[in-house]
Amino acid sequence: MAQCVQSVQEFVQDSFVPMVAVLCSEEAERVTRKNNLNFAELLRPFCRLTSEGHMRDPNNQVQVVKNLRIFVNNVVTSPNRPPTALSHAQSKILNEVVLSCQPQEGVVNNVVTAGDYDLNFSATTPWFETYRENFLQSMPASDHEFLNHYLACLLVVSSTEAVPVEQFLKLSQEQHRIQHSGEYTNPKWFIPNTLKYYVLLHDMSEGDEQRADAVYEDMKQRYGSQGCYLLKMNTRSFSAEGDEQIPDPWSQYLQRNILHTQVRTAASSTLSGSLESHPLQLDITSSSGSLHTLGAVKTELKKGARDPESLAGGAGSHGACLTLNDHDHIRQFIQEFTFRGLLPHIEKNIRQLNDQVKTLILKIWEMPPKHFCSCPEYPKTMTSSWYPPEAPELQIRKMADLCFLVQHYELAYSCYHTAKKDFLSDQAMLYAAGALEMAAVSAFLQAGAPRPYPAHYMDTAIQTYRDVCKNMVLAERCVLLNAEILKSQGKYSDAATLLIKMTSEDSDLRSALLLEQAAHCFINMRNPMVRKFAFHMILAGHRFSKAGQRRHALRCYCQAMQVYKERSWSLAEDHINFTIGRQSFTLRQPEKAVIAFRQILTNDSRQTATQQSAFLREYLYVYKLKRILSPDCLPQLPLPCIHCSATRVYFGHERRLAEGEKQAATHVSLDQEYDQDSADMWCHLEEQLVAAANRGIVPVNFQPTQCCLNSQTDNQRHPLAVVEEPIIVEVTFRNPLKVSLALSNLSLLWRFTADDAPPSKEKMTNELAITNEEILALGVGVTVYSGFFVLCCHINIHSTFDVMVVHGKQDLMIQGPRLNQTKEDKMTVRHGHDQRLNFIVTSPMPLMEIFFLQFPTALLCGEIRKAYVEFCNVSSVALCGLRVVSTHPDFFSFGSQATTPLTPVSPTSAENNSAYKTLATPPQSGSAAFEMLVSAEDFSQPSGVIDIPIDGSTLQPGESTQLPLWLRGPDQEGVHEINFLFYYESTGKGNKISHRVLRHTVFICASRSLSVQASACRSCVPPHHSLGDKGGGGTLIFIDVENINMSEAGMREFHIVQVSSSSQHWRLHKCINPAKDKDCKLTSRERAKLCFRATRCKPQKDAIKKYTFTDLNLGNERIISSSTPCGDFFFRGCQTSESQRLDAPSSRTSCSSKTWSRTFFWCVSLQAYVVEDNKQLILEGQLHVALQTIGKEASSLTPREMVLLKFKSQLPPPVILPSAELSQLVKTSLHYPETYTHPFVQDSLCVVPVTLTLSNCSLAQVDVIIDLRHKGTSPETLEVHSSFTWVGQTQYKLQLKPQEVLCLTLQACFLQAGVYNLNTPRVFAKPAEQGAMCETSQQTASPSLIFINNA
Amino acid sequence: MAVCIAVIAKENYPLYIRSVPTQNELKFHYTVHTSLDVVEEKISAVGKSLGDQRELYLGLLYPTEDYKVYGYVTNSKVKFVIVVDSSNTSLRDNEIRSMFRKLHNSFTDVMCNPFHNPGDQIQSKAFDGIVSGMMVQTG
Repeated sequence: MAQCVQSVQEFVQDSFVPMVAVLCSEEAERVTRKNNLNFAELLRPFCRLTSEGHMRDPNNQVQVVKNLRIFVNNVVTSPNRPPTALSHAQSKILNEVVLSCQPQEGVVNNVVTAGDYDLNFSATTPWFETYRENFLQSMPASDHEFLNHYLACLLVVSSTEAVPVEQFLKLSQEQHRIQHSGEYTNPKWFIPNTLKYYVLLHDMSEGDEQRADAVYEDMKQRYGSQGCYLLKMNTRSFSAEGDEQIPDPWSQYLQRNILHTQVRTAASSTLSGSLESHPLQLDITSSSGSLHTLGAVKTELKKGARDPESLAGGAGSHGACLTLNDHDHIRQFIQEFTFRGLLPHIEKNIRQLNDQVKTLILKIWEMPPKHFCSCPEYPKTMTSSWYPPEAPELQIRKMADLCFLVQHYELAYSCYHTAKKDFLSDQAMLYAAGALEMAAVSAFLQAGAPRPYPAHYMDTAIQTYRDVCKNMVLAERCVLLNAEILKSQGKYSDAATLLIKMTSEDSDLRSALLLEQAAHCFINMRNPMVRKFAFHMILAGHRFSKAGQRRHALRCYCQAMQVYKERSWSLAEDHINFTIGRQSFTLRQPEKAVIAFRQILTNDSRQTATQQSAFLREYLYVYKLKRILSPDCLPQLPLPCIHCSATRVYFGHERRLAEGEKQAATHVSLDQEYDQDSADMWCHLEEQLVAAANRGIVPVNFQPTQCCLNSQTDNQRHPLAVVEEPIIVEVTFRNPLKVSLALSNLSLLWRFTADDAPPSKEKMTNELAITNEEILALGVGVTVYSGFFVLCCHINIHSTFDVMVVHGKQDLMIQGPRLNQTKEDKMTVRHGHDQRLNFIVTSPMPLMEIFFLQFPTALLCGEIRKAYVEFCNVSSVALCGLRVVSTHPDFFSFGSQATTPLTPVSPTSAENNSAYKTLATPPQSGSAAFEMLVSAEDFSQPSGVIDIPIDGSTLQPGESTQLPLWLRGPDQEGVHEINFLFYYESTGKGNKISHRVLRHTVFICASRSLSVQASACRSCVPPHHSLGDKGGGGTLIFIDVENINMSEAGMREFHIVQVSSSSQHWRLHKCINPAKDKDCKLTSRERAKLCFRATRCKPQKDAIKKYTFTDLNLGNERIISSSTPCGDFFFRGCQTSESQRLDAPSSRTSCSSKTWSRTFFWCVSLQAYVVEDNKQLILEGQLHVALQTIGKEASSLTPREMVLLKFKSQLPPPVILPSAELSQLVKTSLHYPETYTHPFVQDSLCVVPVTLTLSNCSLAQVDVIIDLRHKGTSPETLEVHSSFTWVGQTQYKLQLKPQEVLCLTLQACFLQAGVYNLNTPRVFAKPAEQGAMCETSQQTASPSLIFINNA
Repeated sequence: MAVCIAVIAKENYPLYIRSVPTQNELKFHYTVHTSLDVVEEKISAVGKSLGDQRELYLGLLYPTEDYKVYGYVTNSKVKFVIVVDSSNTSLRDNEIRSMFRKLHNSFTDVMCNPFHNPGDQIQSKAFDGIVSGMMVQTG
């Protein structure tokens, strides 16, 4: 129970006060009416006595009567029996009283902390107290108790009457008639001879004062000085009012009464209609309808609300003719009446009753108890008896009541107790209950408290009232008293149970108030029961709303909400929110309603779809109404949810993907998913570009360009946007509801922050999208003007549902990623900044678009294709510094101007749209090689970055240029992702954005074509034998070409058209193919072997490394390998293979460069004939093979091996050179006559001169040891060799200068004719500067046979 | 037969509430929520005196006009609430007790699931099955 203003004692005392009736003459009534009051009302503010009274009890003990209050009322006669329930009018009055008593705005509520709940509510409930007071006052008088029976009667006559004494007589007779005639059951009178007190009312303003005094003297004579009084009043004349402000003590007593009678008839009856349902039911079905009807009711309510004000204005004139002196007079009068008239009267009566009772009790002992048949007025209560007024039990009760009224509680208790026993024994339940109730109350009020409060008396009384007597009014009174008493004793739990038990269906208002008090009981317990508090508040709220007390209902729900809020009891929360919304709406608080409804929609709902749609409809309706009321500010919409962090921002135009045949650069689009790896890759490429543009140094403040910002990109800095280029913002919406939402007219709101006065500007498209519990991404673009500004975060959403369209906004607030750097970051939740939507707009920048023409998607490995690329400057600023970098630099080439041949191209190449430049050659020159010297600088670029050779190196605004682009299919089959990054910058300087980039990604599907394997081996032919060649030794190149193309369908055959070489030291000499077929054809799975001879180039004079290109064409057209496409790709290939080889063992590289001086043979230009759609297509291509060492096979398909070398790099460099290599240091050959005829008959010894030619193939000095002695390992070989012997010097030690050829003349001696193998000399060679340990035998493998004939 | 079975987290928010579909779900939510006051009262009353040896089963929390509400609190202060129809007199205290024990076992299984995040709503087929069994079972 809530706290009260009054203390318990005060409250209980005031509940039972002596009642005084008033009978007024008409004239007296007129006098008081001047003050807008009747006489009873006039006295009412002064009815509490401030001074103490004294009286004697039957035992002559002096009893002090403190703080006594009397209740003065006009006599209202009625013939009816008192009802057991409140009349309709009475309950209406109570309703009005409660309605008019609302918690004041701004009153400080107290905060109760219970567990983890902080509840904020007002501890006092003045409406309840007012209700209680009014309820107790309106208690009907009943027969079983006398407390509210009239004890005395004031007879009031005005002094202006002609004969006042006659009037007094008349009134006295009237009173007697009312009391004793039996015509009226109401009012009831306490004692048969009621105290009559004669009051002469004198109007000072009009009456003759002396006459009044005279009459008063006469009255004193007649009624005794203690039985009459002269009340002078109305000192102020009516006209004099206005200049003096007199306090108006009547207003608080009377205003309500006036309200009762006049106002609120229509409104309350209409209000209580719609909300009758179970307290815990969401009354959805009637919802929309009810809201509409309630809208109509509101206007009525408003009318009603205006009325009391006008009435209050009229009521303000109470006591207009009374001065403060008059107030004092009235107060004195009451005091006089009470102490001189009433108290002695009561004292006398107690004495009488006491005597009477004493004798009666004796009599009762003697007589059998009298039973009377049950009265016809109480047909239902069969057990209750009815006593005649003079029955002794009632006399006891009467005495008890009298004692109680004059605060003699001890005597009262004993009397009640006695009476109770009697009534119980008589089974007079109503009487017994009354006695029990009062016994308990008087026991409680006894000052010394000699006995504990008999709570069970009360319980029995309540039960009896309610169940036996069906008298809810009495039961309620009893409950109110008991609850208050229990509360004062701290028994909140009992009080709550009591109050809850008292709720019933018959009175919503009572139930509501009692439930609310019960809720307060729960929260006031020692261990506050928060949830019970909340639950009962909800029940109370429901009953309030049923009783038409909307404001109270709303307050209850709001208080309960504090407990349910945000604790994931969503179903309950939704219900409360819904009710709050409805109540707020009907109370014309649309803001509150919107908030409440919004809450339902914001939370993750457990409701069904139909209910959600109802909620939504209700919300939209309320929202719309609110918008009509306050159209200025655009409120936030709760739906759909914006997934802020998923917002993506895209700078620039939406890219066209293709334009006719032209294929635009892919660049970045919103369709692409963000991928960290590819982002890193692009960033790396851009770094290369920027480094190339800045002479190899990446600037410190380099930041990779970000075209599309999302949650994963680095959004710490303000993004730079270029003026007059669009920005596309992609917002992700989510609809948490189970029903679909329609959105229309979406637009972005944005705000300049350039100047002090930022005009909020709005621009954008209208799109329509429907979401249904899914994520919807949609782009909205904004064209940017100039200045620095922030794209602010408003979005206008029109939600359409049915026909209802509401207009609102939602903020775009992007929170940065959670910080996790410092310790504080880790311990708290901190978020970084996200500047995705805060742009800085910069001055105009060039904008380039790139288109590709004839760009293939599939290529054969090594295929060369010519495509075109078009660069367009679509902005109004010139651009320059065009560069490109790619992940596959060997894939493409822009060609090089330096090598453009002057000779005209052959007609066939033009015909076939060939990528190559060809020259027609005479067929006979096929075996001869063409040579051309080219310096590497013409082709190679310093890094992977390639400058794009456009004319004048700038592109003017609107200008576009087309460049050829050669592509070569990657060497490996499969799908290759090839990324290009184009770089350009503005011609103007000092921009915030230093450069711009454009991305392009292509996917090339490479299919297998030919596999080329090449090997070089030393020619056995000594140099001087070779035809007219003076250079170093010849080398044989073997090339194995295999068609490994798998597709049977299209590819028919490959033609090997030309083999070219490029090297710094070597050149192709001629083709020595045994089969002289020219154009080498290869169909599927065929293999061919080509054989070439290579020779060493003439030594070059200048220091610049030049490459010798030699072409050997097998067909009749020569492809100029040193010119643009071929040469470019050759050098590209070099660069990549070199860069891959950097990790190879250094010793080996140095050695081989010394001996063989890096040889690159590249070869095989090929033509593939593809039949496609019955049309013969000629594809061209080239394959590269790098030859580095003699004898080792190199393949065009070797990148894997290169990777393996990396791992070998960890090995220590080999100490001993491989023998195979050394064995080739020195070439030996034997020269002798093939047949030799010798007459063995004449001379048994045949000596044949043999010349041993030693040639040093290397560029180093070589020590050679020649040992001619046979050194067989087995006897057989010894035997064979013993057939001839070397004669002369058999061991030589020589030194061979680089490339020196030396002839040694040896002599072989044969003993008989036959065939001999002369190849027995063992040659040991080693490089001169190397250790002796490295000697290795130079064995010639092939036998050198000599025929010795016998002549 | 239970008409509503609820599991409430230590912090007094619902982990699981299932009620007989024919009846007003909201009402049960309110009933269960309100019963938490009694649960807390009982825990605080018992907790001091007995310490560790606390009986998990709290017995009848409070009767309403139509229902009886029973409570059970695990050692980790997770509350189980079973609402039973008042008219159903066949259910004895022992049966309620065994229902709670079964519920507790199943709840433990749910908690043992390494993929379950403690504090989340219970979404387990096995648990659903146990609860449905208890709601049908004796009816």
